[in-house]
Amino acid sequence: MSTLWDTTGSDVVKALSAERRSAGALAFGLALTLVVVTDQQSVEEAEKAATAAAAAHPCRLLMVIRRHSDAPDPRLDAEILIGGRLGPGEAVVMRMYGRLALHAESVTLPLLAPDAPVVTWWHDEPPEKIAFDPLGIFADRRITDCGRCPDAMAALQQRAMDYAPGDTDLAWTRTTNWRSLIAAAFDSTSESPTSATVHGPTTPATALLVGWLRSRLGVDVDLSETRGNDINEVRVQLEGDRQLILRRNDSRTASLSLPDRGERIQPLSNRDLGDLLAEEVRRLDSDEVYADALSAWTGVEGLSDRSPFRTHIWRDPAQERAAEEPESDGDRARAGQAS
Amino acid sequence: MRERDTSPTNKLRDPRDRRLPRIPDPCALVVFGVTGDLARKKLIPAIYDLANRGLLPPGFMLLGFARRDFGNEDFSELARKAAEEHSRTPFRDEVWDRLSASIQFVQGSFDDDDAFDRLAQTLQDSERSHGIGGNAAFYLSIPPAAFPTVLKQMERTGMASNSDSGGWRRVVVEKPFGHDLKSSRELNGLVDSVFGADDVFRIDHYLGKETVQNLLALRFANTLFEPIWNANFVDSVQFTMAEDVGIGGRAAFYDSAGAARDVLQNHLLQLLALTAMEEPVSFDASALRIEKLKVLGAVSVPDDLERYAIRGQYEQGWLAGARVKGYTNEEGVPKDSNTETYAAVRLNVETRRWGGVPFYLRTGKRLPRRVTEIAVSFKKAPHLPFDATDTTELGHNQLVVRVQPDEGVTLRFGSKVPGSLMEVRDVSMDFLYGESFTEGSPEAYERLILDVLLGDQSLFPRNAEVEDSWRVIDPLEEFWADRKPEKYRAGEWGPKAADEMLARDGRRWRRP
Repeated sequence: MSTLWDTTGSDVVKALSAERRSAGALAFGLALTLVVVTDQQSVEEAEKAATAAAAAHPCRLLMVIRRHSDAPDPRLDAEILIGGRLGPGEAVVMRMYGRLALHAESVTLPLLAPDAPVVTWWHDEPPEKIAFDPLGIFADRRITDCGRCPDAMAALQQRAMDYAPGDTDLAWTRTTNWRSLIAAAFDSTSESPTSATVHGPTTPATALLVGWLRSRLGVDVDLSETRGNDINEVRVQLEGDRQLILRRNDSRTASLSLPDRGERIQPLSNRDLGDLLAEEVRRLDSDEVYADALSAWTGVEGLSDRSPFRTHIWRDPAQERAAEEPESDGDRARAGQAS
Repeated sequence: MRERDTSPTNKLRDPRDRRLPRIPDPCALVVFGVTGDLARKKLIPAIYDLANRGLLPPGFMLLGFARRDFGNEDFSELARKAAEEHSRTPFRDEVWDRLSASIQFVQGSFDDDDAFDRLAQTLQDSERSHGIGGNAAFYLSIPPAAFPTVLKQMERTGMASNSDSGGWRRVVVEKPFGHDLKSSRELNGLVDSVFGADDVFRIDHYLGKETVQNLLALRFANTLFEPIWNANFVDSVQFTMAEDVGIGGRAAFYDSAGAARDVLQNHLLQLLALTAMEEPVSFDASALRIEKLKVLGAVSVPDDLERYAIRGQYEQGWLAGARVKGYTNEEGVPKDSNTETYAAVRLNVETRRWGGVPFYLRTGKRLPRRVTEIAVSFKKAPHLPFDATDTTELGHNQLVVRVQPDEGVTLRFGSKVPGSLMEVRDVSMDFLYGESFTEGSPEAYERLILDVLLGDQSLFPRNAEVEDSWRVIDPLEEFWADRKPEKYRAGEWGPKAADEMLARDGRRWRRP
C-alpha cells in the first residue's frame, strides 16, 4: 500500500504500476474497471459495497471522492492498495479538492484498465444529467441509486428523461428477487392475469416493479401505498376471480400462494449494497427490460432507441452560483479557462 | 434439448432479461442410496446450494430412499450435517429450515415391494401437499448391480412413466455405465426401456465443470484458435487426469474395474471428444451429440498395443510427506491383483482435421498431485532464422486448458531473453478463471442436477456415446487381460514404460 499526499495523476499511475510489480500481480486478469463516485460522509459504506462486488468480479477499483469543490487550490491525495482492505484486486482511492473535482476524468482516464469495460457507480445523488459528469461519459455502464436522492420519485422520473442504453439503477436491482419469484410462480400456472396490485412504499423499487408488471403483462397494475421500507406484497388477479399472492413474511422469506396449491414459503432475502452492486457489474450490456419497466412507470417512451453515447455538457457549479450572485465574475473567467 | 412447455405462456419471462434465473418446474428429486458417500458429499450439498441460490422451484421435494432404518428426522439430521460440511455457499439456518420441511425419507431395501409402494404413495401424496405436480427425477446413487431390481420396481409401480404420472419422470445414472460394450448395451437397454431414452441423464461430472464448458467457448467463440486447431499446426495433444489419492474405500469396485474403465472410458474420452470435434451447428443437446459421436467413431486404437497402451500399478512410496501403501497392500485388494491404477494410451482420430496427430491420454492414482488438464502442443516453426544455439531453450508452443485445479488457460510461446544476445526461451501467458471471474462458479453437481430438473440434456452423454467409448476401451482391456501391469512408485508420474512410449515418438509428457 502506498499513500500519496498532494500528488499528481502521473505519480498515481507510476505508484500503481510499482505496486503491481511488487505484488507480483502483473498478469492479473482485469475484467473491468469500477469507478465509484461518492461523498466523504458515505465513503465507508461505498467502500464496503465495492469491496464485496470486487470480490465477485475482479476489477480495478477507482474511488473518486470529491471534496470542497470551492477550495481555492486544486489538490489530489491518493491511496493505492493491492490485495488489501478493498478486496483482492487493485484499488486507488482518490480525494480531489478544489476545481480538480470538476476534472476528475483527468486523473481517472489514465488509470482505466486497458481495453476493459468501465462501470461508473454514483453512490450518492447522481448528476441531474449523467452528461454533466465526465466520469459518466467514458463508462460503458452507469449505475445510479435513486433511492438515495432527497426526492427519490422525481429522481426516477429524471432517470427516464436522461436515460441512455447502459444506464441502470439499483432500485431495479432491488426488484430482482421479487421478479424471480413472481416469474417462477407463473411458470407453473397457465392462467392469464387480468390485473395486479403491488403493495409497498412509494419508492423507485416499488415503482419499477409496477412498471415491469405493466410492461410484461399488459394489464392494469396499481401501486397501493403501505408503510415500511420495502415492497410488501404483490397480488395478481387471474381469470375467474382467482389470485396469485406473494407476500413478504420477514427479512428473509416470503409466502407464495397459488390458486389450488396452498401456501408455500420461499426465500426472499434483503440483499446488501455489495450484493446489488455485484449483480449490476455481472452484466455489461444495456438492460432493455429495465428500460421497458422505467418507460412503463414514467410514461417516457422510446428509451431503448436512444444513443448509448453521451457528449459531455460542461456545467460549473461556481458559474451557477455566480449567476445567482452577479458579484464574483473572476471565478467565472477562471472557470471558462479551466473548461 | 426439449423446450420447456411452460415458458412460452409466461409473459414475465423474456430472453433479454438475464437477471432472472432459470427455475425448474415444481418437482420431486428422489435419491436412491441417499445415505451413501456421493449423496452426502455431493448431492445433498448441491441441493442445498441450489436452494440457497433460490434456484429450486416453489414446489420441491427431496425424497431419500435407503435401507438404513431411519425416520424422517434422522434423515433430516444426516442431510443437514452433509449440507453444513460440504456446501459451497455459506450455511444459513433459515434456508435449511425451509428445505428440510420438504425432505422425506422412505426406508426399504430394493427388493421390498412394500417400500416401493410406499414411495409411490408418498410421491402421489406430495403432488398435492407439496405441489410438485407429476414431476419427479430419480437419482440412482446405487451400485449398478442393483439397477435392474430398482428399475423393475419403478416399472411395476408406474413411477417411471410420464403418461401415468401426468408430468415428467427422469432418471439419473452415475458411471460406471457397464464394464464393456456388451454390458453397457444391456444396461442402456434396460434403463431406456423403463424410462424413455430422452428421460435418461447419465452423469459425467466432468462435463458439469465450468472449464470444460469453457473449452467450447474458447474454440468456437474466438477466431484465434480454430484456424490452427488441426493437423497442419498441432503436433500432439495430451490429456492428463492425475489423482494423488489411492482407491479409498472403493477396493471392491476398483479392483474389478481399473483406471481405464474408471476414468479413461468416460472423463478422458469426453474431454477428447470436446477437444477434437467439429463445430456443432448449435449448442443444443442433439447438435453437440452428433459432433461428439462423429469424433468418438473416428477414434482408432494403435495396432502396436504393446508399445502404445501402457498400464501401471502403484507400489508403496512416499507422497506429500507421508508413506503410502502399495496397491496390492490396500485393504480389500487381492495380493496378486492385476488391476491397473494407471493407464496411458496413444489414440488417433481418423479425420482430415486430425490425421497423424497423436492423442496421448493418461490417468492414474497416487501420482504426485491432483490435476486434470488438456495440453495442445503445436508444431515447431518450419524455419527458424536464428542460430541453432539461440533457440535451444525454445520448446513447442502450447495451449494448456487447466480443468482443475487453478482453472484457466495457459499459452506458452517463445520470447527473447533481455540482453545483448539473441536468445529465445519459453514464457507463458496465463488466464486464471479465479482472477477474471471469481463469481462463485457452481459445483459440477449443482449445475448438473439443475439441468436434470430443467430437462436440459446438453451436458449429459447419451447411450450411443457411452457405447462408442467402450468400443475404444474394449480392445485395450482385451490386450491387457492376461498381462501384468508395470509397477510405479506411489508419488511418481507413472511407470517408466509410459515415458518411453512418448520418448519413442520424440516427445515427453508435460509435467502438469
